[in-house]
Amino acid sequence: MEITLFSIVQGLVAGLLYGLLALGLVLLYRTTRVLNFAQGQLGVVAAVFLLKLTFDLDIPYWPALVTVLVLAACLGALCELLLRRLFDRPRVIVMVATIGLSQVLFLFTVLPFVAPTSFFAPYPLPFSTTMHVGGGILQPGDVTTLVVAPLVALALALFLRYSPWGLGMRAMAENSDSARLSGVWVKRMSMLAWAIAGLLSAITAILGAPGKASALEEALPPGLLLRALAAALIAGMTSFTIAFVAGIAIGIVEQVVSYNLVGDPNKTSITTFLLFALILVVLVVRVRRLQRGPRGDERSSWGLGGESVKAAIDRTRAWVGRTGVAVTLMIAVLLPTIVTPGRSFLLARVCIFAVIALSLTVLTGWAGQVSLGQFGLVAVGAIVAARLPDTNLVLLLPLGGAVTALIAIIVGLPALRIRGLYLAVTTLGFALFMQVSVLSTPCWTAPVVGGQVCTGLPDPASTLVARPSFFGWDLGSDADFAWFSLGVLLIAVLVVRTWRDRGVARRLIAVRDNETGAAAMGIPVVRTKLLAFALSGFMAGVAGVCLAFALERIKPGDFSVTQSILVLSMVVIGGLGSVEGAVLGALYLVGLPAAVGSTSTVQFITSGFGVLVFLLYLPGGLAELLHRAGDGVAALIEKGRHRDPHPDDEVPPSQLVRPVAVEP
Amino acid sequence: MSAATLELQDVAVWFGGVHAVDGVTQAVGAGEVVGLIGPNGSGKTTLLDAISGQVRCTRGAVLLDSLDLVDHFPEDRARLGLVRSFQDCRLFPELTVTETLLVSEDARRPAGVLATTLHLPWARKAEHEKRAAVAEVIDAFGLGNFREHRVDELSTGTRRVVDLAAVVLAEPRLLLLDEPTAGIAQREAEAFAPLLLRIHDVTGATIVLVEHDVPLVFSLCTKVVVMETGRVVSAGAPEEVRRDPAAVRAYLGASPEALARSGSLDAGPGSEAARSDEGG
Repeated sequence: MEITLFSIVQGLVAGLLYGLLALGLVLLYRTTRVLNFAQGQLGVVAAVFLLKLTFDLDIPYWPALVTVLVLAACLGALCELLLRRLFDRPRVIVMVATIGLSQVLFLFTVLPFVAPTSFFAPYPLPFSTTMHVGGGILQPGDVTTLVVAPLVALALALFLRYSPWGLGMRAMAENSDSARLSGVWVKRMSMLAWAIAGLLSAITAILGAPGKASALEEALPPGLLLRALAAALIAGMTSFTIAFVAGIAIGIVEQVVSYNLVGDPNKTSITTFLLFALILVVLVVRVRRLQRGPRGDERSSWGLGGESVKAAIDRTRAWVGRTGVAVTLMIAVLLPTIVTPGRSFLLARVCIFAVIALSLTVLTGWAGQVSLGQFGLVAVGAIVAARLPDTNLVLLLPLGGAVTALIAIIVGLPALRIRGLYLAVTTLGFALFMQVSVLSTPCWTAPVVGGQVCTGLPDPASTLVARPSFFGWDLGSDADFAWFSLGVLLIAVLVVRTWRDRGVARRLIAVRDNETGAAAMGIPVVRTKLLAFALSGFMAGVAGVCLAFALERIKPGDFSVTQSILVLSMVVIGGLGSVEGAVLGALYLVGLPAAVGSTSTVQFITSGFGVLVFLLYLPGGLAELLHRAGDGVAALIEKGRHRDPHPDDEVPPSQLVRPVAVEP
Repeated sequence: MSAATLELQDVAVWFGGVHAVDGVTQAVGAGEVVGLIGPNGSGKTTLLDAISGQVRCTRGAVLLDSLDLVDHFPEDRARLGLVRSFQDCRLFPELTVTETLLVSEDARRPAGVLATTLHLPWARKAEHEKRAAVAEVIDAFGLGNFREHRVDELSTGTRRVVDLAAVVLAEPRLLLLDEPTAGIAQREAEAFAPLLLRIHDVTGATIVLVEHDVPLVFSLCTKVVVMETGRVVSAGAPEEVRRDPAAVRAYLGASPEALARSGSLDAGPGSEAARSDEGG
């Protein structure tokens, strides 16, 4: 291991930015108990706008900077206003909302009055000093970071310690209700905290921008966020000092490690693996401290999409529902014969995504375990398909499912100790680990034992997975594969409905809603939690096998964190916990953008706005809309019937009441 | 179902420096109804938690029919017939009344996931039986109108009834009830005494009842235990405890009307002490 001064200073520059991000995360968590996944994106808008002001509009640097910073603070406050009505919902729901928020914020950066004409213009800097350190040259942007970032951290510390607002915010962090009673204006404080977080994020983005070729970041750059999260977790989400120092340490260690791995093809694999391991270790060590404090999660409602109560009671309503399903199914079956192969492929993709969304319905909707890494599990199934070519599909599907179920149980083990938000962080780490480390490394040498272990894609650049035949049915054409995927989806829907109606779902929901109560009733909590992971993993694995065959050529990028988040958005938009909702969500998020023309912008509009609008105003999701529509149609039919009464249709009122579901 | 005996041997639960329960030794015979009273923070709920496994004992033993439970998980204790209700009575907010009761059935008659998924005959039969049992209990407790209501839509009083229905379904051998009348109106609380007696008759379980309604405790229980700061200060038959100056000082004295209602005005401080089984 070689440690050079230059790599340390470079690491320091990166680490200072992680530290600033971590400060924002801790600030918001302490004051409003929100784990803000939009913390990075919040500032990127400001950073992009600064480029617009100075480059396109020729406004001098300093006035432009002040304008942009004020705007960033306002944007932060605006976000608080928007999310405020969610603050009494479970923390993980708010977290999902911030993911939607980050996608919406990303859209701001491409709006014509925010985006500069060229993203590749040199990023403006206050001065252009370079520094010679240990044989390397630090660019002006890095020098600025070295000077400004510590000053910002110091200013925040002084503000929190000595200003009356800082005291109020600290009181609020300890106990929001008591703080309110002692005259702290909680709403204003939380808005102030968000404004400061916006400011911090903007400073981070502006400091970080000069180093990059383009100022436009991917919405929610998962790697960057994960490093900041790791630092914040090390600090127990409470200590600003530890968070900042930990951020710097992560930056330095990372830089030194990658300096020593220059030329190693597995460089990024190893650093990502180390980051994932760090997060797991930190969470397991810190779990007690992190989970101290009010358990908001256990008190508030998840707001399930739920079923239409009327459908169970009313005959006409039930008929409308059944007819709707039959017609949809018929259209879906007929589609591949009419449309182009490309559209057939789209249908297959929608079906497979719907299966993945159903797997998340089980895990997140019922068991309440938020997974940001469902595509990590899908990737396991895909690897099984890629590693075992020429295996009979009848064997391959359950095998892929079983292997993935096993991995899912391992991923779920931390969930026995870690709840809610923190589990989401581990699954995010897992997804990144699968994408960057596992999929991209065809084979690795096992430590201690020696020997090659091949767990990745055979060819990370692009692995060919030939579509097999299914009992002599050649799945080579897109139309045939669409029918096959439709069949898989149909079986998945039937299975999940069985779980919901016959006892599996109610156990998972019971453990989610009240762990102590379920245990006191005799429900084995540990086994039930792991069951949720196993069932969800099995479905994700089956979907992974199908996805590999659907794509025919797979690469690690097909299983990115963005996809995992897309699937989470699906179940939220569809209606958490609802079977129909998962299918509708897939149709909306995969089908609609593809029909309009799938750019990332369209995707972010549908998913980002979708998540926010549904969480804020229609927690029942698309499923609820569907049920309402069904109710409306049924009411119309009833109305028509009453105008023209027919003796056979008269249902005596006693039969309108749902019979007790007991059969002799 | 036969009633179980409960024996506590020097049970202590310490949270850091706080000695919530500090050496309780008590024996409860099969079929007894024991009232556990004491001021707030005296360790009653913590003692129940220690018996049902929600907290670990710092030391001591909890014996159910002379089987030591200390290393059993709560769910294992539940399957031995140790059933409890909670003070907050949260149940499962998102489930309907029927589903909540079905969960209670699931615990005792678990159906394999694979069998359920494949609609195997025995899994279907088990589900039908569970639903039949639940329907019966729902009718018995007069919950018919709330069958498909979600638990978080119910009033506290109705929720308590659902909780008791779940308790009866669980076929308890030892039943721990934590303030079952907390948060419900006086009129409903009065209806609780006959209900509890019926539950005692139907299930035949041994019952430990934590309650602040002193007259209720004294009218229902065959034995009363008074706790203060984690220790038992008085225990015995209701009339003995009523006359015990230690009990009066610790708890009963705080509410003279309650004493009046339980007819103990004749009990003076000089009356015969009936202290027994004080933990140490």
